[in-house]
Amino acid sequence: MFKTARSKFQTWITAGAGTIAALLVAGLMGAFGALPAHAPPQLPPDAAIDAGRWRVQPARAYVSRAKLYGVALKPGQKALVLEADLTNRTAQSDKAYFNVFKPDGIDLPDSTPMIALARDSTLTPELHPGMTERMAYVWPLAGNAAVPANLSFGVTAEIFKPRDNLYGTPGWFNSYRLGTVTMPVADLPESGS
Amino acid sequence: MRIRAIGNLLIVAATVVLSYGMQVSKPHYAELTAPIPIDGAMHDTVRARSFDVRLDRMVFARTLKTNQFGQERLLTTSGLWAVAATNLTATSTSTTVADGTWQGPTGLRYRQTERLSYRQDMPPHAVDPELERSGLFVFELPADQIRGASLLIAARQFGPLDAQARISLDAVPTGADGQPADVLPLYDLDAPAPPQGQTRQDQTRQGKT
Repeated sequence: MFKTARSKFQTWITAGAGTIAALLVAGLMGAFGALPAHAPPQLPPDAAIDAGRWRVQPARAYVSRAKLYGVALKPGQKALVLEADLTNRTAQSDKAYFNVFKPDGIDLPDSTPMIALARDSTLTPELHPGMTERMAYVWPLAGNAAVPANLSFGVTAEIFKPRDNLYGTPGWFNSYRLGTVTMPVADLPESGS
Repeated sequence: MRIRAIGNLLIVAATVVLSYGMQVSKPHYAELTAPIPIDGAMHDTVRARSFDVRLDRMVFARTLKTNQFGQERLLTTSGLWAVAATNLTATSTSTTVADGTWQGPTGLRYRQTERLSYRQDMPPHAVDPELERSGLFVFELPADQIRGASLLIAARQFGPLDAQARISLDAVPTGADGQPADVLPLYDLDAPAPPQGQTRQDQTRQGKT
């Protein structure tokens, strides 16, 4: 009985050797990277999202043509604004919230937004653990740029490592796209705030 | 022969246990190079490596009033403002004291606020030997982070193996709910000197040390 099982196994290995080798070589050469990636999930716009070190809850999005939150626009520019409540989930004050939101499918002259505290227009202050603050992300746009009525924002998160690979210190690394949140974008007239 | 084999096995087992224990209890790099804390209490002079610091007064307020470029600004917060009034001196050479952190009872670290623009009495504080200088550290924190907290003051934010004054804030009077005993509705940072009683008390303290 063992003899037949052994010869069967040998036959399987011999017949499959080519396939196994082909799969290994393809894997080593990165062929599987070309597979269609899973689309990031759609996140609910009306619930808080745990995105790595931030808990975010988008409040509203709009297009403004006037100066707001102390961010001056160049003549002929308008601005895409996303207001969101941010809470620091970590144990220390932090300001690494620049890449949390990114509008999809819009041509941005500068992909880094200006971020202001809605409370008193302080630009990019540190946020403290457990203290929720309304922040305004302001992306300047060309005056004639088309903004869809429903715009999706990519949400980026990071993972926590208790020890990083270089120094063994704790930190947040390896940012990945957590999902997409779709918000209606209001178009405010010139005089609106 | 058998006893000798068992003895060898025991030695091997003991070595494995010891090595594993040493590996598990090995301190992290971050702990090995962390700032070295120097403990003290309120109204005591804490002697760090390059500076001495004494916490004179803690003020809690719901709103701060400050002057920015000649304009009055009111700063609100979702928690409380904590203003630590300190007295600083350098030890041997002129230096700066730039970093203040509020460490809550559970270890959450609140760095000094960045919402106040540059002021003369805000960090970085330039300090000189033998010259006392008053300096403020202002924090924004939830009310439940006050009881059992400590104030960490260091020359700079990332100072591995440098001294860090760790001032216990047990002397801050708090109510039953952990809130500080007196919270001002509005605190004017530009208002002149603290009330007389407070300064006299500080002077006697100074005389003692």
